[in-house]
Amino acid sequence: MNKKINQSIAFWIFRLLGLLVVGLLFWILGFIIYNGISVINWEFLTTAPSDGMTSGGIFPAIVGTCCLMAGSVVVAFPIGVMSAIYTNEYAGNGKIVKFIRIMTNNLSGIPSIIFGLFGMTLFVNSMGWGDSIIAGSFTLGLLVLPLVIRTTEEALKAIPDSFRTGSYALGATKLQTIRRVILPMAFPNILTGLILAVGRVSGETAPILFTAAAYFLPKLPSSIFDQVMALPYHLYVISTSGTDLEATRPMAYGTALVLIAIVLLVNLLASTLRRYFVKKVKTN
Amino acid sequence: MIQAKDINFYYGDFHALKNISMQIDTNTVTAFIGPSGCGKSTFLRLFNRMNDLISDTRLTGECIVDGEDIYNKNVNVDELRKKVGMVFQKPNPFPKSIFENVAYGLRVNGINNKNFIKQSVEESLTSAALWDEVKDKLKKSAFELSGGQQQRLCIARALAIKPSVLLMDEPASALDPISTSKIEELIYNLKKNYTIVIVTHNMQQAARVSDKTGFFMLGELIEFSDTKKMFLNPDKQQTQNYITGRFG
Amino acid sequence: MEGLFSLSGAVTTVVILLITVFLFCEGLGLFKSSAVEKGYVLCVNSANPVNSLKSYDIKQIFDYEIENWINVAGDYDKEITVFRFEEVFDRYSEDELGADYNLLPEKLGEIISSDAGIIAFIPEKYTPKNVEGVKILKENNISLSDFFAGSEWIPTATPAPQFGVLPLITGTLWVSLFAILIALPLGIGVAVYLSELAGERMRKLLKPLIELLAGIPSVVYGFFGLIVLVPLVQRVFNLSVGETGFTGSVILAIMALPTIISVAEDAMRNTPRAMREASLALGATHWQTIYKVIIPYAASGISAAVVLGIGRAIGETMAVLMVTGNAAVIPATLFEPVRTIPATIAAELGETAAGSSHYQALFLLGCILFIITMLISITAEMISKRQLNKGL
Repeated sequence: MNKKINQSIAFWIFRLLGLLVVGLLFWILGFIIYNGISVINWEFLTTAPSDGMTSGGIFPAIVGTCCLMAGSVVVAFPIGVMSAIYTNEYAGNGKIVKFIRIMTNNLSGIPSIIFGLFGMTLFVNSMGWGDSIIAGSFTLGLLVLPLVIRTTEEALKAIPDSFRTGSYALGATKLQTIRRVILPMAFPNILTGLILAVGRVSGETAPILFTAAAYFLPKLPSSIFDQVMALPYHLYVISTSGTDLEATRPMAYGTALVLIAIVLLVNLLASTLRRYFVKKVKTN
Repeated sequence: MIQAKDINFYYGDFHALKNISMQIDTNTVTAFIGPSGCGKSTFLRLFNRMNDLISDTRLTGECIVDGEDIYNKNVNVDELRKKVGMVFQKPNPFPKSIFENVAYGLRVNGINNKNFIKQSVEESLTSAALWDEVKDKLKKSAFELSGGQQQRLCIARALAIKPSVLLMDEPASALDPISTSKIEELIYNLKKNYTIVIVTHNMQQAARVSDKTGFFMLGELIEFSDTKKMFLNPDKQQTQNYITGRFG
Repeated sequence: MEGLFSLSGAVTTVVILLITVFLFCEGLGLFKSSAVEKGYVLCVNSANPVNSLKSYDIKQIFDYEIENWINVAGDYDKEITVFRFEEVFDRYSEDELGADYNLLPEKLGEIISSDAGIIAFIPEKYTPKNVEGVKILKENNISLSDFFAGSEWIPTATPAPQFGVLPLITGTLWVSLFAILIALPLGIGVAVYLSELAGERMRKLLKPLIELLAGIPSVVYGFFGLIVLVPLVQRVFNLSVGETGFTGSVILAIMALPTIISVAEDAMRNTPRAMREASLALGATHWQTIYKVIIPYAASGISAAVVLGIGRAIGETMAVLMVTGNAAVIPATLFEPVRTIPATIAAELGETAAGSSHYQALFLLGCILFIITMLISITAEMISKRQLNKGL
């Protein structure tokens, strides 16, 4: 009977642990939502910060983050999808593909601050773009490139070979098959991957520290060569280096909540999309 | 001795076993045959309560092993499973050494005496006719053995905890003919000390190794009698059809 | 079109290559730059046998930690007089130095040649040339050992900024490893709970929520750490500051938990049914089956996750930057401020001039971080490839 007692002790410990840790994680979420929700209102979302960041809103930061999100999609999407098409449809299963996969994996393991350094030397200095939306977008685009490649590859792999051979049997070329059969079928999953990548972009701080982000800009950017404010950087700045940290606290809570809301939204969008397309495929 | 009385078993709404009663004598080999999905494996797995692991199942009736209803609330399932050993369809050794695989059952049942464990491992491997092949590589991973050897290892593993009943769920279906005949030979030898119940797809196998045979179809026990009689002169037409290969 | 595809196929490789080239080009420049601040030289009296000084010795001398030449120049027993360039204006009036300071080198020569123990830190353009009694110390480049074995990171020190990377490496490793030490048992525990004990409905509810937590930006975790954890740590452990390595570890552990839980849970649920059944059929309890079969079986999946988790933790910038206090000293305990490599880069790069030795040192830090994380990626790759059928 000894082992039975051991088991119940162990299981109670695990149940407790499980609830404790899960509780802790949700407490963090709850803490920020609870403190941030009272800050959020229309004015907060649509005006620029004022009075040394102690009042006003975060509109320029929202716009800036949206610009960076869009920009990084423009960079990462075509290259990422094409790269995945190459490894999955063209390259076969040889050493080259293995090498590319390892490299993609390694790239995804590189810390974001390194991307920041790299982006600064290449895009900001060598290309002469300065701290700008375009430099930040390229840096962030490269950062999420492995994510886009991997999700696209998974989407492509999920399509059974019978569709490919079926298309070839009708005399279609490889390119036609990819364009008319494979891509349309894989599209929903590719899109979900892309959305998740964009979600990741929205919260990255280190890569934009030296490539795009500005401490304070009262006006919105007018071209892609302008610097922008960005939500994560804004949160960092106002929670660590304001003149009056106590007075900027509410702003910080609000910004943190907006960041969390973006992540939530992105995840929700991705899962809804996936469900919607799954249904559509089934009814077809 | 195993006795099943009026067993009904359900997966959710699906009535998988219908009103089955059967008596299995000590130190005999009993074979269950029948087409896929007929319930023979489900019935076998009742005897060590393996079906407990599947959620949303329900059982009525009595299943008595050594005079005790094993579905009684007071029954310790771990103790029951110690008494009723099992060998599965595919060899499923643990990712451990050959020695540790056999020792596993002893260790989880609280035996720590090194010498005793060592001795039991040797005995079990010998009974499973594997000792000579592995005695020099006990520390090697069990995955280095061939499929047939792995299955005999699994039998040795089951024997190590000295069960009185040994359940075998299609133990040779994943093996080549030579390994299969080794297992069959082993079953024949083990009969002296164990009550063996074996599920098999292979009718020749049932005919070769068993004393009694039960024929299952669609959750019902159609016929249960001496193996010889079953294969030469079955009572039921369905049995006749199945054995002569008209379906299934 | 197909050419375009294969070109994009190479893109990740190219990016890694470019990162390597750019980082190392900038970073390795550090070893070509002088240990002494650019545009300045060090001079001593010509009686002094010293010809050149190591970066760390220079710093020690100017901090008055070394007070006699015997400590750096063998048998030259003379008290050291530290002379900084500004002091020349205390000794001579503007008139004496002449128009455009054209007499300045001469005066400096006088000062240096009159004091046998002097070391003078002066601008290169005012160096007294060919003056009897003045010896210009040979320019010493920052050496590998200055960087890798140096125990002080003081990039703003004059005349010799200190780029000793040891405190940063120790800080990084301490914080990350301790974070994993916290996160691993908790994560596996929760994974056991989720995959083995929680009901199906509970699991279906919690799993996506936990995965969601993995997507929350690190700066938000950093913010939470700053507001809640820092004061908490300060109070609980009765410290003078709450920004410590420990705080960083805790916040990193919290960040790593969702990933570890999720991966470990997947690995456990992927344990073949046959393994579980084999164990249970031998009379093992569910708990024995978990710790003797399921966890070992899932181990390679879990360890790959852990290695990647360590990689993430080592590279994590913002959250750590916000809660560890950023003191660049080799930590004696985890309960004092520490500074990690990524946090150093993030905090200091904005204030450096491109091409300065400080700038190059930060890039070299980037190189170190890059190498560490590459090694970790490769290790993780190898672990996940290692076939389970090795068994033992």
